[in-house]
Amino acid sequence: MANLIHLEKVTIYQSGNSILADVSIEMEPGEFVYLIGKTGSGKSSLLKTLYAELPIVEGIGVIANFNLNTLKRKEVPMLRRKLGVVFQDFQLLTDRNVYNNLLFVLKATGWKNKTEIDARIKEAFDKVGMWEKRNKMPHELSGGEQQKVAIARALLNHPEIILADEPTGNLDPDISDDIMQLLFEISKAGCAVLMATHNYQLLEKYPSRILKCEDHKVIDSKIQSNAEPTESEAILAADHGPDPVIDQDILPANDSEPPMSSEEYILSND
Amino acid sequence: MSSQGEKFEKRRLRGSYASTIVSISLVLFMLGLLGFIALHGKILSDYAKEKIELMVLLKENQKEADILQFKKSLDVMPAVKSAEYITKQQAAEVFAKSENDDFIGILDFNPLPASINLHLHAQFTTPSNIAKLKRDILKNDMVKEIAFDKTLVGSMNDNLETISLVLLIFCGLLFIISIALINNTIRLALHSKRFLIKTMQLVGATGSFIRRPFIETGIVNGILASVIASGLLAGVIYLGQKEIPDLIEIELQNAVLFGSLFGIIFVLGILISWFSTYLAVRKYLRLHSDDLY
Repeated sequence: MANLIHLEKVTIYQSGNSILADVSIEMEPGEFVYLIGKTGSGKSSLLKTLYAELPIVEGIGVIANFNLNTLKRKEVPMLRRKLGVVFQDFQLLTDRNVYNNLLFVLKATGWKNKTEIDARIKEAFDKVGMWEKRNKMPHELSGGEQQKVAIARALLNHPEIILADEPTGNLDPDISDDIMQLLFEISKAGCAVLMATHNYQLLEKYPSRILKCEDHKVIDSKIQSNAEPTESEAILAADHGPDPVIDQDILPANDSEPPMSSEEYILSND
Repeated sequence: MSSQGEKFEKRRLRGSYASTIVSISLVLFMLGLLGFIALHGKILSDYAKEKIELMVLLKENQKEADILQFKKSLDVMPAVKSAEYITKQQAAEVFAKSENDDFIGILDFNPLPASINLHLHAQFTTPSNIAKLKRDILKNDMVKEIAFDKTLVGSMNDNLETISLVLLIFCGLLFIISIALINNTIRLALHSKRFLIKTMQLVGATGSFIRRPFIETGIVNGILASVIASGLLAGVIYLGQKEIPDLIEIELQNAVLFGSLFGIIFVLGILISWFSTYLAVRKYLRLHSDDLY
């Protein structure tokens, strides 16, 4: 099966400045991958490139069988239906209740049958445990609840990958745990997750493959750990902060199946 | 699936739409009022122009039947609105009445010629058209000469031309201003929705799907604004007629003309609102998320 994400020597520009250069990433279906780096290191820009908000100027990019180099404006919505996007600030439609937030997505993606729509919305709400609160307005919900709704919204069209831009950035640690477990469960179920974060505690608690943005480059723990496993282990163990080098895959032996590692982790944690 | 919060949100939205509708309807009303004045100016000027009288003075001793035949031939000319045969006798009576003087009694004969008095259609009252008409009519042997107030025609045409040119420029300016104003109002109203539009895009909605509800509201707003503007305009015309009753007669004759004025306001209101909404939403659809802040 083709890789879900294939970036080859991509340079990402944000308003004329090169943010990341020579980015090459592969990501497989069902993988859970962290994207870390300091503020302004290009995490969000990389995600934006993946959901076609920023154009690829140099290099080759393919995501979910969409070629980002040749993607036309009209095809962008089609790509986004295969992705679920989750943001730090939730980005719910503030003018309607959360049920209608999800309804909008289905209507926008061409769903017509009322019972099918209702069933799909219930399915998504049940996954995040928010069905009871479906008639609330976004501002009536807590941050964690809003983020769960946003995740439910991202799950609606059974995406192949969820791109999460600091989904726990605005949440307190307990709620962050909830969200993390939710995201891990989602990846267990076969939907890949690429999550930008700078919460290093989460990396220790829920270890998985890590991509780090630093000095205009993206460093992959999967490749790094193959080369120098001891060093990357040490880094994860070390305290967070402006760490010099990189991160890792917590279970180097499981490199071929990273989602399994997270699954095992959660199971053992329970 | 409409919670209390949603109802509140809708009420708030209606509030923000109300100001848009009021702005659009005021601009349309101004436009309509100017259109009314312009139309009215044309009607008044036509009225004045058609009052111009062209007297075709006939030679003596013409047969009555020939004169009537000639009158008929004049009547069918495209430029002629109406033709009236004035006999020598009638001319004398008119003259006697206006001069208060029984000159026939003094002179013992009637020196006034019989004549056919013509009123022209407004668009044929330019000096050049009148000159041409004069040449054509003079070809007939029965005609002695043609009399009309040349300076009156000249100055009236000049004045009316200036006035209508000024009105036209004014109308054009106001039209451009109104489009800019309405466009701005709608753009401002949509500016507050830019994040909403961006979010809709991020969940995979196509541009046209996002645009549709906005355009629907835009059209509805346009219709409401047109109705308000038409109501205001009708009220002003009604009050105007009460103050200046002469307006009534002219207005009734031109019901179609004024009907189309209201029609134009209506269509314009909808089109401008529609098109501006389309442009504004398109602008936000094409904006990158970083430019939204």
